[in-house]
Amino acid sequence: MSLTMPNPYSGNYKLLVAVPLFLVLVSLFFIPQIKLGVDFKGGTLATLQTSQPADVDALKAALIAEGYAVSSVKLFSIPKGYEVEVEIERDDSITRAETLKSTFFEKIEEVSLLESDVLVTNASADAVSKYAAARQEIDKISDELFAIALSSKKSSSITNSNDLKSEVSAAYKQITDGYSAKLSATLSSLVKYESASFNEVSASLSAKFIDKAFMVVVYSTILVSIVVFLIFRTFVPSLAVLLGAACDVMIALGAMGLFGIPLTLASFAALIMLVGFSLDTDVLLTMRVIKRKEGQPRERAYDAMKTGMTMSMALLLAFVCLFILASVTHINTYYEISSVAIAGLLGDVIATWLLNGVIVLWYLERGGQTGDSQKPFLSSIFSN
Amino acid sequence: MISINEIIAGAKKREVIAIFLFALIACAAMFLDKPRGVPIYVASIVAIAIAAVFIKSDSVRVAVLVAIVLLSAFSIVSNGVKFGIDFSGGVRIPVLLEKSVDAVTMEEMVNTVKTRAASFGLSEVKVRPIGDSEIYVEMPQSSPQLISDVENLLSRQGVYRGIVDGKVAVKGEEIYSGTIMKIPSQYLQGADWGVSFTVTQAGAQRFAEVAKGKGNYPLNMFLDRPTDAILILSEKQLMADAASKSRVVPIAKARALQIASSSLALENDNITIYIEEAISQNFSLKPATNKTRAIVTANSSLIPELRAAGFNVVEKTDAEMTPQYVVSPESPTSDSVSVWKAVGLMSAPRLVPSVTEGIPNFSYTINGPAEGANAQARALDALKKERELESLLKGGALPVQISLGSKTVIPAPLGEEFLRLSLIGLLFSLLAISLMVSIRYRHMQIILPMIFISLAELIILLAILGSFTIDLAGMAGILAAIGVGVDAQIIVTDELLKKEGEMQKRLEKAFSIITTSVMVAVVAMVPLLFFSGLVEIIGFATATVLGSLLGLFISRPAYGVIAEHLFE
Repeated sequence: MSLTMPNPYSGNYKLLVAVPLFLVLVSLFFIPQIKLGVDFKGGTLATLQTSQPADVDALKAALIAEGYAVSSVKLFSIPKGYEVEVEIERDDSITRAETLKSTFFEKIEEVSLLESDVLVTNASADAVSKYAAARQEIDKISDELFAIALSSKKSSSITNSNDLKSEVSAAYKQITDGYSAKLSATLSSLVKYESASFNEVSASLSAKFIDKAFMVVVYSTILVSIVVFLIFRTFVPSLAVLLGAACDVMIALGAMGLFGIPLTLASFAALIMLVGFSLDTDVLLTMRVIKRKEGQPRERAYDAMKTGMTMSMALLLAFVCLFILASVTHINTYYEISSVAIAGLLGDVIATWLLNGVIVLWYLERGGQTGDSQKPFLSSIFSN
Repeated sequence: MISINEIIAGAKKREVIAIFLFALIACAAMFLDKPRGVPIYVASIVAIAIAAVFIKSDSVRVAVLVAIVLLSAFSIVSNGVKFGIDFSGGVRIPVLLEKSVDAVTMEEMVNTVKTRAASFGLSEVKVRPIGDSEIYVEMPQSSPQLISDVENLLSRQGVYRGIVDGKVAVKGEEIYSGTIMKIPSQYLQGADWGVSFTVTQAGAQRFAEVAKGKGNYPLNMFLDRPTDAILILSEKQLMADAASKSRVVPIAKARALQIASSSLALENDNITIYIEEAISQNFSLKPATNKTRAIVTANSSLIPELRAAGFNVVEKTDAEMTPQYVVSPESPTSDSVSVWKAVGLMSAPRLVPSVTEGIPNFSYTINGPAEGANAQARALDALKKERELESLLKGGALPVQISLGSKTVIPAPLGEEFLRLSLIGLLFSLLAISLMVSIRYRHMQIILPMIFISLAELIILLAILGSFTIDLAGMAGILAAIGVGVDAQIIVTDELLKKEGEMQKRLEKAFSIITTSVMVAVVAMVPLLFFSGLVEIIGFATATVLGSLLGLFISRPAYGVIAEHLFE
């Protein structure tokens, strides 16, 4: 198979760069279209197992009529019947209630302290005015929360801050329980299902996920760049390796936008993993071409390509299996990881051999240094 | 080619024999000490892997791989493979802490959640810390009632009650939670620790009335004291602390029962104590209402009879059932049970006479001595007691605000189906990759070792990850790791297939490429793995990183040795 592959570097190889560059440009167009999954956007993902296929459009219309902000309703066939997946955007009032509740609990301890000061100091004017000011602030929060909970309670009639605290907790619970109960009641009145699972992501949780994911991207990029520069210790090859990886991730992101693969924690993990996979072949190519002397650079690159293609093929096969498994079981985690990995591995083949390969060869033929005098960092410990 | 003689010669080496002996001992230890099977397994493979790094001989490399595969296969059989609720069915509720906490606070939080779950009778609930800002609460079943129970127990606060001589003197809801704080050491007046708090007007009134004239009585402080309940304990449990050897003067049985009974006394809601040995002779207990709970030692022989009689049985561990006494010969009125977890009795400080004069007072302090062999131990103990007391007065409130994360519910039959299909997928992917290398290399001598090593890696990964928990992301990671594993073998094979240069040199080159790429791949995953706390996908990151590392340290060197012999 790969043995009969022609050597792409035999002619004017520099033109090959056009392919990855074109793909990156196309990807740039699709990247803004990536949909955020529930993990990052917040909201509720309800998965219902049914024995009969449900009418997706009717269900969506009925839910919208009930006042839900439905982002999608999908129907899948699974080994034991059907699965209906309903994604609902986070309700604004719930998000507001969440914010109110956390602000309230941030402040209540202080209010409770001020209230006790009033008692202990025998209602000194200073303590009373401080308490009144603090109390006014949390009263406003509580009243808004009571209003969302459709409760008739008024903070002005609750004198003790301890009681106010339990009332606010109860109101918040009423809001969230009420929402979940209403949603599952609505769903069960619309669809006859055997079992259901709900994945709810609150606004604060999704904000936390975004924060963490961003942090991971920043740190991974910095760490990988440092390690790559330490290993190659020359600017152009290091840059070529990193460019190859970046190009690969761009292509994978473009594919996510094009094929509607949502950005969730699972697809995010797959993207980070792609950096590792992509560097795998980039490192192979760069080490074979730059750090060796036997034969012509172009032959060495072609040789590396044969090995690299076999490697990518093995990985691709593993993820194709996962993808088939995902389409049989309809497990989102499998589907997101495998489709991102497949897109990324295909992107990697293009990025490594048509971009990184070209840069490295061009660098050598312009008079760059070769030689394996320096052993890579740490390898003397692990190899012979 | 490898001849049988070579294998025998290799196997006779001292190091090789030592490795296999070690593996054998580890297997025996796993088998004999099943509860500690997982730590034994993990420790022994780490030990063997370290040996592999330092002893650089061909036969050792192969022996290490074989030994670890055997150990792993044994671990799969003996320790089993644990699957997450994705595959076994159940509910998972992540509890998110508002900020990162240190290990001590985390342990405290996990224990609080466990205690609360136990007080709800939810013994099947698993609580485990994840990183420094998350706790997983998992249950094998998934009834909506159970889910709401757990959500309730997590979001609700416990109920604090301070009881003096059978009457409620302090209610948790009458304490201003913002005022509960440690007393700075300069104001402690001889005590080692102290906590102060302020109560509401109503609270002050209640305390003044109830505590009037009760100087030196214990204030029995309960967290979630059971209502409408009876307690059945064995004579051994009643006397375990009363007659313990560390006591200068042992407490007689009659007195122990008296102290225990009075500590549980409460107007209109007494918890009556029964001695298991006495009632099992002639069982005639009847529940007061259809909700009456019988608190009893787990696995007690009385449980079936209690259930038949109509009690709601609440099972507690032996330690929780055992009361701890504090007695003083000079002042018998202050004799008390200081800790009795089964009924939520957490502490019983003595009332100083000055607060029992019947005059309403808003601010109170609770203080006491610390225990420990030296000043440092005493300081730590004081800190611990202060924290426990603060948490108790706040109704068992967690030290950090929590919010509930996205809960996952998987019906059990669906989970089993997922597992079955995933395992088929795993085999299928192994098969597909084997087929691909067969077509690519067309030589049995190359193909067979490659397949053998991939299979070996799969076994090791399943055993290691299965010692903890394999979830969906972990399963996807294992699948990916099979592909990653083959990659490095392809590098070695292609390098060795080249005709020019020495064999040793080529192998070295292959290893330096592999080392570099594994290093880069692992580094890329490090932030996700160690610093993100994104537990939902950590299984995936762990599996791929472990796959790379296993290969680097164990299977690649072994494959190199095998391949080298094959190509000679």
